[in-house]
Amino acid sequence: MSHETTTNRSLLSGKPLRILIGFILVVNGMFPALWILFTSLKTEAELTAKPITWLPHAPTMANYLRAFTDQPLLLFLFNSFMVAILSTALTLFISVLAAYALARLQIRGRDLILSAIIAVSTFPLVTLLVPLFEIMRALGLLNTWIALILPYTVLSLPVCTLILVSFFEGIPRDLENSAMIDGCTRLGALFKVVVPLAAPGVFTAGILAFVNSWDEFLLALSFNSNPMLRTLPVGITLYQGEFAFPWPVISAALVVGIVPVAVLIVIFQERVVSGLTSGGIKG
Amino acid sequence: MTLNKTMKLLLAGVAVTLSTSAAMAQTNLRVFVSSQHRPDVWRKAFDMYEAKNPNVKVTIETGGNTSEAQAQYLNTVMTAKDSSLDVMILDVIRPAQYAAAGWTVPFNDVLGDANAAMKRYLPAYAEANTVDGKVVALPAFADAMFLYYRKDLLEKHGVQPPQTWDELAAAAKKVTAAEKDANLQGLSFQGKAIEGAVCTFLLPYWSMGKQLVSDGKLSFDKDAAVKSLKLWKDFVDQGVAKKNIAEVATDDTRKEFQAGNVLFAVNWSYAWGQFQGGESAVKDKVGVVKLPAVQGGQPASCLGGWEWGVSAYSNNKTEAQKLVQYLSSPETSEFMAINASLLPQFPDVYTDQDVTKAVPWFASARPVVETAKARPVTPRYNEVSDIIRTTVNAVLAGQSTPEEGATQMEGRLRRVLR
Amino acid sequence: MATASETTLVRAHNESATKWWTRFLDPSERTLAVLLLLPTALLLSLIIVYPVCRLVWTSFQNLSLTSGAPATFAGIENYALMLEDPVFWETTWNTVLITLITVPGALLVGMALALMANLPFKRKWPVRLSLLIPWALPLAFAGLIFAWFFHSEYGVVNDVLRRLGFEGVIWFNSAKWAFAAICLTIIWKTSSFMALIILAGLQTIPRSLYEAAEVDGAGRLRQFFEITLPLLKPSIVVALIFRTITALQTFDIPFTMTRGGPGTSTATLAMYIHQNTVDFLDLGYGSALAVVMFALSMGVTAVYLRMIRAKG
Repeated sequence: MSHETTTNRSLLSGKPLRILIGFILVVNGMFPALWILFTSLKTEAELTAKPITWLPHAPTMANYLRAFTDQPLLLFLFNSFMVAILSTALTLFISVLAAYALARLQIRGRDLILSAIIAVSTFPLVTLLVPLFEIMRALGLLNTWIALILPYTVLSLPVCTLILVSFFEGIPRDLENSAMIDGCTRLGALFKVVVPLAAPGVFTAGILAFVNSWDEFLLALSFNSNPMLRTLPVGITLYQGEFAFPWPVISAALVVGIVPVAVLIVIFQERVVSGLTSGGIKG
Repeated sequence: MTLNKTMKLLLAGVAVTLSTSAAMAQTNLRVFVSSQHRPDVWRKAFDMYEAKNPNVKVTIETGGNTSEAQAQYLNTVMTAKDSSLDVMILDVIRPAQYAAAGWTVPFNDVLGDANAAMKRYLPAYAEANTVDGKVVALPAFADAMFLYYRKDLLEKHGVQPPQTWDELAAAAKKVTAAEKDANLQGLSFQGKAIEGAVCTFLLPYWSMGKQLVSDGKLSFDKDAAVKSLKLWKDFVDQGVAKKNIAEVATDDTRKEFQAGNVLFAVNWSYAWGQFQGGESAVKDKVGVVKLPAVQGGQPASCLGGWEWGVSAYSNNKTEAQKLVQYLSSPETSEFMAINASLLPQFPDVYTDQDVTKAVPWFASARPVVETAKARPVTPRYNEVSDIIRTTVNAVLAGQSTPEEGATQMEGRLRRVLR
Repeated sequence: MATASETTLVRAHNESATKWWTRFLDPSERTLAVLLLLPTALLLSLIIVYPVCRLVWTSFQNLSLTSGAPATFAGIENYALMLEDPVFWETTWNTVLITLITVPGALLVGMALALMANLPFKRKWPVRLSLLIPWALPLAFAGLIFAWFFHSEYGVVNDVLRRLGFEGVIWFNSAKWAFAAICLTIIWKTSSFMALIILAGLQTIPRSLYEAAEVDGAGRLRQFFEITLPLLKPSIVVALIFRTITALQTFDIPFTMTRGGPGTSTATLAMYIHQNTVDFLDLGYGSALAVVMFALSMGVTAVYLRMIRAKG
């Protein structure tokens, strides 16, 4: 769990070369997003001009206006955000409990349980669409956030449990014991001592869960048909008509969808990277 | 949310029980409407119905914006036997499938003389909505494929709109050679593996007088299939259509024609409104005629349009059927033609004065719609469609020859339609 | 739940003092374990186990909703059908091929990105952001965006090729090029997460190891192969296995980019399952395909678990 961010003696370290490498990295990561940004500022006529243009000749905000007025884009964002946040919270709560049991308690068949959790989750959700729909209907959960929160939680649960198990194992038992001697219950110690100490792991797990939920499309399309409950990936497809595919407007909506995540990442980037660095992902 | 929904269901259940005893009780009908077909205008049609039937409340539901996305959504809902939907609008290719799955209820009992009732519609719609003598859905509106052409360019070069595909190829070669514009394509059609590619295959096939399915059995004519695939592939090889036609979807055809880069285009009716729109480079330069025939054949178009079906899991089937009869009436058809530019499913409505005033081009649309044929009416249409579209796509991409394509197609179709 | 069990939990406190076997028999420890694992068990049963059981059951039935016939027991008929279904073999082969190409591809690219990102940059955030954005971009968006990139006329890839003096490629017009475009997209999308994990591993390697190696006169290439790579192995293995499992489930990217075309040359097993269940409504056959895919994933998972256990 060393935070000593040493830089290995890299193979290459001249300054101009470094700038070039930085440039390559940034282009690789950002270019598609930038391209979508450019596209969102073009008119449809410019988009189908030959040869194609890179920077928009006459930038227009009209596509953004249409993105917000053709469909309730803010509502899509809100739904996506709430579903992702709530499922992240649920995932973290459940996986903290499970991970603590697996890391700290003497359980017969611990490995078996861990294997089962991982094995079960390798099942592709795509193939479970119909039975899941029946379950949600039976529970009266169709057209609710819960219909998405439950499967999304399952989507991230195994990976988060794995990460947390390894973090919890790295925390000395003494700290926990002394807290319990001070009158904490075992669960109290878990949430007051262990979880804060494993914060980087909890954070990493949280980000993973958030991104997983933020991405999902198929279940969101199938379970929530009420327009007031649509999430962003589903909402984006609504700009498309039976035949029409208005690229500039869709690009504008995509940009609006990418920005919040990019902002989150810029704010938390250090923590995401350091969370991963702390060895959590090593399993 | 959950509570709310349970309450609604309870209320709906109560409403059904009451409506059998007391006629004035409230019935809530949930109607699935395709969001690409002006749900706002349908809403007005529902409002008018509610005004006349104060005991009925209609709620609109939408999901997905393409026929495919909607089918996936509805398939999931119906597979789960969900009772929340009462009425749904279905792409013309689906009523047979939904009926076979037992998802819709037939209209025969409420129509009285079903044959007479269906005769009012364009004949192709009577065919598309009747399975084994059962009327499984009622037409909502019509659509068909048209040949759009550049009136200005044809006039300039003294060419008449083509009657056959050969004439089209000759005309395209003549005009593009004279125009010397590298960006001008002769013909644009759908070669991507989408539903449109099924129509692409069927247009010349039908024009040769052949059927793919008759009486529920496969009646595949391999020679005609080879000729059909070859016709399209030749357009590509001769430079009439562009090389990347295998990635062209319906709206790509529309965009390129609208940008002024296409001489002839095969497309649905929606394209007309776009071509005459403000952003169009071809405004007032567009002509529309029926699709060409093969040499010595009959002109044929692909039937589109959507139908109203009543869910077998609905708790309000009687009220739902009444609503559908209203929705599929000449009055509603006229209202939707005028306010949403949806093509009427009744021949007479095309010549209605109010309609011709609001959408003058419908007058030229009627003869085309009358040549339109329904794609195979079979419960396993989705598989049939997949086989045809992937083959067309593979042949146009040069992955297989027309002969190989037709052989594969026949083999795979035989397995689906025994 | 927590408050109700707290009283019993207190008894488990002095666990370090008790012997292992008393702890083992201590009911409160077991109760606690059960209680803590209960939410996980309930959720997994509801969302995965129960549906999977239904799926396995359905896979032994003749259940095609388009036939209108009620379900009948079919034995292994669906599985037998699969053997002579050329599309099953083609989509399975495509899935395996995508896995074989994109997993090592993502590893190599990810490794290169990580090594580059580990240089002492003055401003670290643009580099980090560049690694995080592709990872956070929804798969369906990535498919849409890259489909546009590879468009033969309006795509930026062909534009660059033409500017460099090559001829543009009609990517989605040929099985090979379409496959290549899909693999490139998947590698782009997944390599950045791979890079993040490797970068994390790189940053935990103590500098002193390299200094010692330098004293011994080891060149940079040797340092890489003798220090960096062995120390990275654990994190790479885990990343690889997770990537392999998701690669076997590849769906969104080919679905949005090519729909499996031209023909069925880029369709994956997951797409074929989806098509059979949701489009063709052949639930029996679709379920059998899903069971096969589950078996494939389980195979990889078994390897994974063995590796984790081997690690200690």
